[in-house]
Amino acid sequence: MNTAGSLKRGTRLSSALFIGLAAGSAALMATLGGAFAAPKGELVVINWLGGSELAAMQAFEKAFTEKYPEVTVKEIPITWSGDARGAIRTTLMGGEKVDILINTWPSFRQELVANGILRPLDEAWTKNGWDDKLSKSWRDLGTLEGKVYGIPYNYGDRSGLWYRVDTLKAAGVTTPPATWDDLLASFPKLKANGVTPYIVPGKFWAHAEVFETLLIRTAGAEASRKLGAHEIAWNSDIVKTALKKWREMLDASCCADVSTMLGTDWDNASDIVLKDAKGGFFLLGMWINNRAEDNYGLKPGADYGLVQFPALGLGHDTDSSVDAKEFNAVTTGQNPEAADAFLDFALSAEGSAVFAKAGLASPSKATDTSLYGPVIKTSNDVVAKADVVFVLGDRLPAELGDEYRTQLQKFLQDPSDANIDRITDALEVKAKELY
Amino acid sequence: MAAPTTMGIPRDGQGGGRKPSFFGRSETGAAYILLLPMLALFACAVIYPLIDTILLSFTDMRGMAAGKWIGARNYLTLFRDPNFLTALSTTIVWTLVVTALSVGIGWGLAIVCSLAPRATLVFRVMFFAAYGVAETVSGFIWLGIFRPGTSGLLNAVFAGIGLGDWTTAWLGNVSTALWCLMAAYAWTQVGLPLMTCFASIQTIPKTLFEAAYIDGARSTSIMRYIVLPLSMPGLRVAIFINLLNALRAFDMIFVLTGGGPVRSTETIGYFMFRESMLQFKLGYGAAATVVLLLAVVVISIPAIIKRTAEAT
Repeated sequence: MNTAGSLKRGTRLSSALFIGLAAGSAALMATLGGAFAAPKGELVVINWLGGSELAAMQAFEKAFTEKYPEVTVKEIPITWSGDARGAIRTTLMGGEKVDILINTWPSFRQELVANGILRPLDEAWTKNGWDDKLSKSWRDLGTLEGKVYGIPYNYGDRSGLWYRVDTLKAAGVTTPPATWDDLLASFPKLKANGVTPYIVPGKFWAHAEVFETLLIRTAGAEASRKLGAHEIAWNSDIVKTALKKWREMLDASCCADVSTMLGTDWDNASDIVLKDAKGGFFLLGMWINNRAEDNYGLKPGADYGLVQFPALGLGHDTDSSVDAKEFNAVTTGQNPEAADAFLDFALSAEGSAVFAKAGLASPSKATDTSLYGPVIKTSNDVVAKADVVFVLGDRLPAELGDEYRTQLQKFLQDPSDANIDRITDALEVKAKELY
Repeated sequence: MAAPTTMGIPRDGQGGGRKPSFFGRSETGAAYILLLPMLALFACAVIYPLIDTILLSFTDMRGMAAGKWIGARNYLTLFRDPNFLTALSTTIVWTLVVTALSVGIGWGLAIVCSLAPRATLVFRVMFFAAYGVAETVSGFIWLGIFRPGTSGLLNAVFAGIGLGDWTTAWLGNVSTALWCLMAAYAWTQVGLPLMTCFASIQTIPKTLFEAAYIDGARSTSIMRYIVLPLSMPGLRVAIFINLLNALRAFDMIFVLTGGGPVRSTETIGYFMFRESMLQFKLGYGAAATVVLLLAVVVISIPAIIKRTAEAT
């Protein structure tokens, strides 16, 4: 009897069984819960969102806890006015232990990283194979000094004009303007029909979107990127050209008088164009889509639409400005495992579906795009082909961003060459103090 | 023999002095002990943040980065900053106009109400209710009034009575925004002067008016020599409180204009918010806060000294 042989065979058999069981368990675990065996405990999230975005985030958190029942999500709700960053800073400086922060300002991310508040996510990225979920351009948008800090979970086009189908039709504008000449030609038609052709919401910040889009159309996304980093001076010709292009619109009687522009906020603009049908176009982000559906009861595509800002034929007609909301992992967090699972879930098919159903576009490749409505689909198609750049105002240091919006208000008051020189010089002086 | 007492309080009205009390110490000591929780709360909620703000104003703290001590540089910069100087002059105009308007209207209404106190009760309550409403809520009411286009109540009224040429974007126009804000804020502040002046006027003996009429005094003389001097206590309180309220006004400006258009309605209170919470220059914003605090102190001290002297 070959005892040694049978022992060896027995050992081999049990080893194979063990390896098989281990592999089977690992596969099962991976199927059930991604790379996260069983995150548990409390996950603390700073949530400053409002309206439909807040509802979408809470639905997402609910879906996450259903998938990981041993994790409870504790929200630190922040109430704020003006700029949420002030309240977020106070919360973090007050010593709250936070795992996840929702962020939409690249300049704020930079400040948090500089102060050691954000945890790099490169390790989690590799471990969870997020390359399969996010393209390189999204990774780059969330990267600072070679390390990834931001995982985007939704984004929106910021270079699109919103309009109401019946307003254009009544004025004889058969198709939304595709070129600059089309746009200028639509103004007298709309005006003759008792409609203000283009609404500029200049009360606080939303007027800057017009400048940013014109900057991208005249000088390109790369120039906007460089201006944000102050690699191009604020009193350079590219800035002046964009402002002069805006002046062409004003000269073509696009807009209401200056007092009305400076007295109109973004929500008024939305009401004027989409609810009251007294305005032709306005330029703003994708949150208008939910507002149009939920607040005004309009049907996307049939009642209202979104068209990319017209082509100027200067070689940058497909460039686009975008915004994005991202998750950051905070170093003070007590539950990094659950935080990583949360980020992974945001990029998964199930997680991104929650946002897609709420009318928010997700950058994840796993997203089921059939869930998108017609307006989101259109903007997605455009952004997918575009050279995109983050909204300029959110990339600037807060002090410069505030000054920039004030100087653009001064431009609306007096769009002359002399004033364009004055305001661009003033911005350059401020930028030199800060960079 | 000492007067009989109830719960340690002498009935002869001579005061307690340092007589033994329930606490077994002097009553002054007992008073301090009873005040202690309140003082502790005051120290935490007012004194500590105040000292911290003053210290912060001597640093260059921006955003979340730790600040460095820079001495008085923030204060020197502040008085060279054209935006601060504009905010300072706006604050002076704002404070004087709002106080004059609210106290003047309140005093006038108090005189009218004094002619028929019972009949005007509901009217007085309505005016005082406006004083009780949160400024933010009042701000949203006035936002609806001043909205551009005919969706704004004021413009709709003008258009409705054939004065369509008068319609404008009231809050977007540099020449009208501040005046609209002051009118709206004065409206919220009328209630207090109305009540304090009304109370003062009610204490004027009727015999004084009767004597004046018998002596043939004209209405203007009665106003000048009887009503005005004798309603002064209420008027002084109203001026003092409304002046301080106007100095630190923020909510109404925030809701209606956000300091705009082009920073034309920015008071020091709003400047402080912009620098600290929009531009995140915390040290610089703290310096503006300290300047505002000093203005409040300068206005308050004479009034407090006078009230203390009157009380003792």
